[in-house]
Amino acid sequence: MQTKIKTILAIFILFVAASSCNDYLDLRPQDGIVRDEFWKTKEDVQAAVIGIYSSMLSSPPGVGDLTMTQYLFMHGELRGGMVTEGPNVTDDARDIMNTNVLPSNGLTDWGAFYRTINYCNTVIALAPAVRNEDPTFTQIQLNHFLSEALAIRAYLYFTLARTFKDVPLKLEPTLNDQDNFQLPTTPQNVVFDQVIEDLKLAEEYAVEDYGDVASNKGRITVYAINAMLADVYLWTEDYDQALIATTKVIDSNKYSLIDASNSWFNTVYARGNSSESIFEFQYTTANLGPFYNIFLQRPQFIAGPIVLEEVFGVDFDNPENADIRGVRASLVAGTNEIYKFTGLNNADRKALQDSDTHWFVYRYADVKLMRAEALARLGGINENIEQGQEALDIIEEIRLKREAIELTEMTVFPDNTSGILDYILAERAREFAFEGKRWYDLLRMARANDYERIDLLISNAIATAPPAQQQTIIAKLRDPNSHYLPINTFELFTNKALVQNPFYK
Amino acid sequence: MKRLLRLPSLLRLTLLFLIALVFQNCSEPKIKESTDETLNITEYLRDNPDYSMFLELLDLTNYASFMNTYGTYTIFVPNNEAVQQYLNSVGATSLSEVPLLDLQNIAKLHILDKVVNTNSFNDGKIATPSLYGQFLITGAVNADDGSSITVNKSAKIVSPNIKLGNGVVHGIDQVLRVADKTLAQTIEEDPNLSLFTEVLKATGWYEKLNQPITYDDNNIGSYLTVLAQTNDVFNETKWKNPANNNEEITLNTLENLKLRYSKPVDPSKPADPTDLKDSLNLFVQYRILPGLNYMADIATKSSFETKAPLEVISARLSNDTILLNDDVFNGIREKGVAIVRNISDVTASNGVLHYVESNFNIKKRLPAPVYFDLCDQPEFKQNTAVYRVPGKWATYTDEQLSGITWEGKATTVTYTAGNTTAWRGDVIELLRLNSSYFTSITFDTPVIIKGRYKVWISFRTNTRSSASVRVLVNDMPMSRLINFREYYNSTIPERVYESQGYKTNLSPVDRNYCTRLVGIVEIPTTGRHKLKFERILDSSNGQTWIDVAEFRPVEMDQLYPRLQSGGDGLVP
Repeated sequence: MQTKIKTILAIFILFVAASSCNDYLDLRPQDGIVRDEFWKTKEDVQAAVIGIYSSMLSSPPGVGDLTMTQYLFMHGELRGGMVTEGPNVTDDARDIMNTNVLPSNGLTDWGAFYRTINYCNTVIALAPAVRNEDPTFTQIQLNHFLSEALAIRAYLYFTLARTFKDVPLKLEPTLNDQDNFQLPTTPQNVVFDQVIEDLKLAEEYAVEDYGDVASNKGRITVYAINAMLADVYLWTEDYDQALIATTKVIDSNKYSLIDASNSWFNTVYARGNSSESIFEFQYTTANLGPFYNIFLQRPQFIAGPIVLEEVFGVDFDNPENADIRGVRASLVAGTNEIYKFTGLNNADRKALQDSDTHWFVYRYADVKLMRAEALARLGGINENIEQGQEALDIIEEIRLKREAIELTEMTVFPDNTSGILDYILAERAREFAFEGKRWYDLLRMARANDYERIDLLISNAIATAPPAQQQTIIAKLRDPNSHYLPINTFELFTNKALVQNPFYK
Repeated sequence: MKRLLRLPSLLRLTLLFLIALVFQNCSEPKIKESTDETLNITEYLRDNPDYSMFLELLDLTNYASFMNTYGTYTIFVPNNEAVQQYLNSVGATSLSEVPLLDLQNIAKLHILDKVVNTNSFNDGKIATPSLYGQFLITGAVNADDGSSITVNKSAKIVSPNIKLGNGVVHGIDQVLRVADKTLAQTIEEDPNLSLFTEVLKATGWYEKLNQPITYDDNNIGSYLTVLAQTNDVFNETKWKNPANNNEEITLNTLENLKLRYSKPVDPSKPADPTDLKDSLNLFVQYRILPGLNYMADIATKSSFETKAPLEVISARLSNDTILLNDDVFNGIREKGVAIVRNISDVTASNGVLHYVESNFNIKKRLPAPVYFDLCDQPEFKQNTAVYRVPGKWATYTDEQLSGITWEGKATTVTYTAGNTTAWRGDVIELLRLNSSYFTSITFDTPVIIKGRYKVWISFRTNTRSSASVRVLVNDMPMSRLINFREYYNSTIPERVYESQGYKTNLSPVDRNYCTRLVGIVEIPTTGRHKLKFERILDSSNGQTWIDVAEFRPVEMDQLYPRLQSGGDGLVP
């Protein structure tokens, strides 16, 4: 009897002990994959790369910050004078519009950017080792993935350096808590150099054609990389290189401007991925963008009062004579609602569940106008009238395609460099209204040649600042440090190596 | 003890445990009593040696303990260098040598009893006055070391927005000085304003500008704003004397100014500039605005009363210049006078002083007719797809329109260009002027010159519209009601019809439109006024279409010129 009980007990203990080693004592996360199990096959690498793209569309679950597109919109437009406050504007956004930024302003949080940068860093650091694990993973495939990660990281650092000036440059992934998080800032020009280096490497590795339209417009191609390169070179004032980069895109003959028609808006914006598009964030009906909410449902932003009459121009005698980029493309006249990201066609808006309009990072017209800018600058430096004329021809070509009205035409001679640049700036305001480019265009043009054209920023403030704060804003803008956002107080608190922009001390 | 040992082992263990527990409980626990470690203002200053001298000032004036109490304060704290500079400027070696009253005033000037962060600063005053009573003005300057926010023009904020338990501290690099001079003294002190001072003295306004501030029953201070002109401006001012063969003289002496302006009010007596009706006195009155108006206030408000009875000055921001009396009258642009921005905004104990760029006079205007097309709204005009496109219409909410407001449950008004025979081919459409839609609607008129006017309202007749609507100009009810159901009666001769208070104002005549005289109004000041339509009876169950509100001077022909039907112009 005793032995029998002991045997039963023994069997029972054995059973419990054996089965207990299973699930509930396991420390591995149940809703994710740990690193030792990942990075085994080329599909893992691909999943990680696609993860980079989706992190730019919307924040990961459980993270409360805004989507990257919203930051891109706000950093590029709030200080540009073309948007103004809607009924649901936040105090933080209003303060940035009025050049009244404190380091405690929530919109100076750069978390969304560094999160995606870390994803890129992880792919760049861990993907090469996968070749040892997966024999079907070729060097060319690896290079393609690396070019995507490198280019996106470069674009994000480029955006950060344009927005915050000096930012911490972290090129290694943060894989565990032992990492050093006390990183000092890197000067803006060094960041730009790193961006160029990354983009050049990415260009070597890059894909020309993925085989389907959505990937060609939604993932990094060699053309997207060259568009980014042209942009960076304009910022570093290396106009020869900018010209070369735009030539590569234009000579590919893969892109063209679409003729003006009733379906132009629908093709280019509402549907997206048109022949004008080079790189877009691919929102879908399953993964909607933030625009319906911030422009239509609870409007935080509306078009500024100058946009309709001064940017696009109004022909009061003949309303039919209108720029196709203006009314019911960029905005709705009268109410000044921003229409570009919520419209379906010239008459109707998209429904909430269909509001999948993309975010347009680079379009062909951008490359064209960047080329015009490089030509105009070079024409001035080399005293070459032909280059000036070539720049004017590009502007004219775009104006013809867009049916720009006579009222917004400027008479500029090819030897008048600053005149051509003013014209390009005005044309860019029309072409890229609300696409997150206005402030960067103003700043880029103003800061070249040691802030030769700071008057651009001042006159923009005079035209758009609230009357009661105009003088204060002008005085602030005369300090170049004020053109960049402050480092958020929270970052300064957690990272003692950071030094605040002196304007915000 | 033996008994204790005899206890069962379990009980002994329990006892031991209990004893141990009792001993442990005897150590006093440390309970954190404060919920917040943030320092208060005085404690913060004690912790920061940079501000020790200002802290000493607060200690001397007994404000130190006050600034440590709970509340919401803003305090501008000058650093030690700044206080030292102040001591040097008053010739003292230590704070104790300065009269206590001065220190108290300085302390009070640096403290506001609301939290004001730098992001609510603008080009003018901080909305909350300092404890001293004087308003502080804010701005920004750009220097070699970058741009900084300033207080009272010269003190730079070096460490802004330090949040503390009972408010916020802004570190500044200069001691703010109390404006202890009155406007009159401030003006007299400026050698460039010597002639202006003479004029003030000659007209008796010097004494009035020298009065300290008084407060009325509503606690509103008797602040004044003076628009002064320098001797240089007077030197530039020429005048042709009609009494002396149009000889051109420069108005740069008091005699010439008297010659130009001072005329006897009563022909039997000599001219007396101290008489309030004398033109030279009015010249001064027109340059004094009641209230405290800094640049930012002038830039954001369209018109200001002056001390001259019923005369207003209009203000407009053009690019970055503030222009006074820069108006469009009957399509003609009148060039205004600019304020010299960099030297203006001079604070005095009883007001603020600005400088103007050239001489300006009271505009003498004769009443002129105003044909106010109610659809002449900037928001309507912007909508080019609809504005004056035959057959099109659009609706607008209250927030979208700057010149129209209404009461009632209606959410939108409609602009419609469907009524092509109306003046300019458009009317404003109100769905039901009754208590469940529009109880009243108010329009901002264009500038109307002061004078007496007959007010005509033209509308498109609708037999389902409201039968009795009252019109109010500046909340003053007009004598006649409008019945929007009445048709124009073409059988009555027009002059007879006019005497009954009806006409048609369109040419060619459209019998669907009728124009009603609602009354005669005395417009007191030149400027924009309010035109209000208010329902009297709930008779309306259809649309009301209003086209034009005519303000015709009483002495003018009330029928002609007519307005062009479907067009822009006037038809004689």
